[in-house]
Amino acid sequence: MGETKINIGPVHPSTHGVLRLVVTLDGDTIRKVEPHIGFLHRGVEKLVETRMYMQSPSYMEKIDYVAPLSYDELYVATVEAALGITVKDRAQYVRLIQLELQRIASHLLWLGTAINDIGQLFSVFMWCFKDRDIVLSLLEEATGGRMFYVNQRLGGLNRDMAPGFDKHAYKALDYLEKRIGEYQEYLESNPIFMERMKKIGIMSKEEAISLGVTGPTLRGSGVEFDVRENYPYYVYEKLHFNTQFENGGDCFARYRVRINEMKESIRLIREALHIIPEGDAIGMPIRLIGPQPKEKEVMVRRELPRGEGMMYMVTEGQRPYRLSIRAPSFINTAILQHLPKGHRLQDLFPILASVDTVMADVDR
Amino acid sequence: MIFQNIITGIETTLGFTTVSPIVNYAIAALVFGALIMVLITIFDYIFGWIERKLVARIHLRHGPTRTGKYGLLQNAADFIKLFAKENIIPARANRVLFLASLPIVAAIFAFIVEILPYGAGLYGVDLTLGVLVAFVLISFIPILIFIAGWASGNKFSSISAQRSVLLLISYEIPLFVVIASVGILANSFDFLQIVNAQSSWWFIVLMPLGFVLFFIALIAELERPPFDLREADSELIAGWLTDVGAPLYAISLFIDYTRVFLGSLLVTLLFLGGWDGPVLPPYVWLGIKVLVVAVFVVVLRATTPRMRLDRILRLGWVWLVPLAILNLLWAFVLATGII
Amino acid sequence: MKINSEKLRETLEKMHRDGYKYLVKLTAVDYTDRIEVLYFIRNMDNGKEEIVRFDLSTKNPHIPTVLDLYLAADWYERELSEMFGIKIEGRNAKRLLLEKWDGKDPPMRKSFIWSKPYEGMKDEVKWAEKYKDDKDKKDGDQNVIRIGKPLK
Repeated sequence: MGETKINIGPVHPSTHGVLRLVVTLDGDTIRKVEPHIGFLHRGVEKLVETRMYMQSPSYMEKIDYVAPLSYDELYVATVEAALGITVKDRAQYVRLIQLELQRIASHLLWLGTAINDIGQLFSVFMWCFKDRDIVLSLLEEATGGRMFYVNQRLGGLNRDMAPGFDKHAYKALDYLEKRIGEYQEYLESNPIFMERMKKIGIMSKEEAISLGVTGPTLRGSGVEFDVRENYPYYVYEKLHFNTQFENGGDCFARYRVRINEMKESIRLIREALHIIPEGDAIGMPIRLIGPQPKEKEVMVRRELPRGEGMMYMVTEGQRPYRLSIRAPSFINTAILQHLPKGHRLQDLFPILASVDTVMADVDR
Repeated sequence: MIFQNIITGIETTLGFTTVSPIVNYAIAALVFGALIMVLITIFDYIFGWIERKLVARIHLRHGPTRTGKYGLLQNAADFIKLFAKENIIPARANRVLFLASLPIVAAIFAFIVEILPYGAGLYGVDLTLGVLVAFVLISFIPILIFIAGWASGNKFSSISAQRSVLLLISYEIPLFVVIASVGILANSFDFLQIVNAQSSWWFIVLMPLGFVLFFIALIAELERPPFDLREADSELIAGWLTDVGAPLYAISLFIDYTRVFLGSLLVTLLFLGGWDGPVLPPYVWLGIKVLVVAVFVVVLRATTPRMRLDRILRLGWVWLVPLAILNLLWAFVLATGII
Repeated sequence: MKINSEKLRETLEKMHRDGYKYLVKLTAVDYTDRIEVLYFIRNMDNGKEEIVRFDLSTKNPHIPTVLDLYLAADWYERELSEMFGIKIEGRNAKRLLLEKWDGKDPPMRKSFIWSKPYEGMKDEVKWAEKYKDDKDKKDGDQNVIRIGKPLK
């Protein structure tokens, strides 16, 4: 049988948005994958240049609609670094809690969609969605929004956590921890699941570093690197944070890293809630002419749910002169050119799912 | 024999004897066919509803609630909607085959269902090789599915059709070997004889291994999850049905549900003692058993991910075929009466 | 680390040998008179980061590819050539990565004006300058300007 080219996407149930893959098949074996991106390109980087600093956070949230708060925070932190504003003590804790909640929400959605991708197991998707809803309720109590938050302000937040948040949070976290444990037990005792995830899409440590992948995808290949530990921000240093990594380098390792990260996040939130100081967490109002930027150029990095996000900003007066965003999904999607080679067509989707891309994040 | 009853019924009501036995036979076949189609439709309807509700409950959803009590009318509404839609034929499809293949598959399934018995006196024809006829007809399906997939001229459909054929062919062998062992045990390939042979011990008790093998192979034949490579929603969009329009899709749904009915009925007849059971009338027992098996199939769908193609084939050839042969030997041992 | 554009390959090869094997980001800034290209590279063993930067002229800018050193440079280089019109030597990327583009200027250049900068805060800027030295204002409020007259 000769080589066949099939076109997957841009409208396809498993491409998580508008990703188009042109797959060259030899029988059932994948010879070449050519990802086509850009269907969702909105030119955020250019747009930001025409806006004042604090007009942009809501654009930033739309870069990654699965984890909007993380991008929001990353951008505001970049502006803070440029303007030389320090974040209030309590706000640092609250931001950390929100970021970790966002990470759990994002990973839960990932778990659901990934398992749906490997085989129509819609049950887990629905369960995860329901649990994600609990996290979103917590985020609603903490920020006031469910989907998009725009809660970060320079030096703090727009609104502090609602009273009684910690009580609800402890309860919800206990429940979530139980549920995540159940999912793990259920999935890892399922031979079909293990078969489809293990030894699929193996990426060695050297390959992973050369390919520049980030986040759980990098840590699944045995690289112990997490921005939260290697370049700590906020109060991560004060908490006992452990980088989660696995040595397998396959889809299963990447799945395992995310599961463990969720558990770690739950632990971190509990720890942060224990030692959170009282006080004021409200930042400057949004309608503001900021101080003149102190730095000509700044670079801020954060561990987003999908990997390491970085913003490089050149400032000029009241506007960014240039904002360059390192989107974790962008670089993670690029590995689709390399990973599925030699695998079966059926394995393409576990691999695609395991790198966890959000197309809006890829295209920006 | 229900045919004869129908013929005599017609004769007594109309008050005259029809001209030739062939005409009698044709009329009786038509009436019986209509009855069975009603039966299948009722089963498909109930099964469709059970599947939706049960899967929804497993998903922590509600399923249909708005149409009728407990959403009972939802399937009817969907059916009407599907048939009210335009039937789109892709430009590169082979028109005749594309339109014909799905109805032919549906017809074959309807035909198989009609040669099966539903009770001690409830059957159309008593074929001495009924089991073989049924399974020979079932083995026609891969060819038709391949034609259907190929005819739509879509690459996803042809990949799906190829997978489907690969799967069906490799699972027919263990299926047939298990059926052979059932035949040996019952000393017949007649469904009635097989059910009668189970009056003391159901074959599930005598051949537990055979039952498990048969069930696995049957799920593969039905192409239900975890063997649903044919549809493979997340990879091949909708497999061989990617390009079909709504009316043909309705037919494919009918095929799917009829297949489940057929499968559950075969399991019940061959291993669960057919209509055998205390107190309740036989047809109630049959209905209960068929539904239990069908519900098990649904639960499987909601709790297992899809298997990999190579793994499915390995399971079929490396495990099922040798174990089926082992089961055949066990059937020989049982048949000799040593134990 | 500021280098000459000719020495890019040489420098990066040396850095790669020294363990800087992770390309974090490849980006560029258009300063209208020059284009600055930045390579953020990281040593994953000890977490050290370096920024290799150099200037290019705006007319016919070109850089050599580093794809053989960093596989991650693949899409970054294509993005760069598409957004800034920088020619990547040694790469034959016919297909555009992000968007079909028929405009003359590469979109991220400053010469390409997509939309005018937001000017609605002009008045507020005046207010800000006027009240810059206001001593009565509360701490943290210095830079806050509300619409209309300032609060008493």
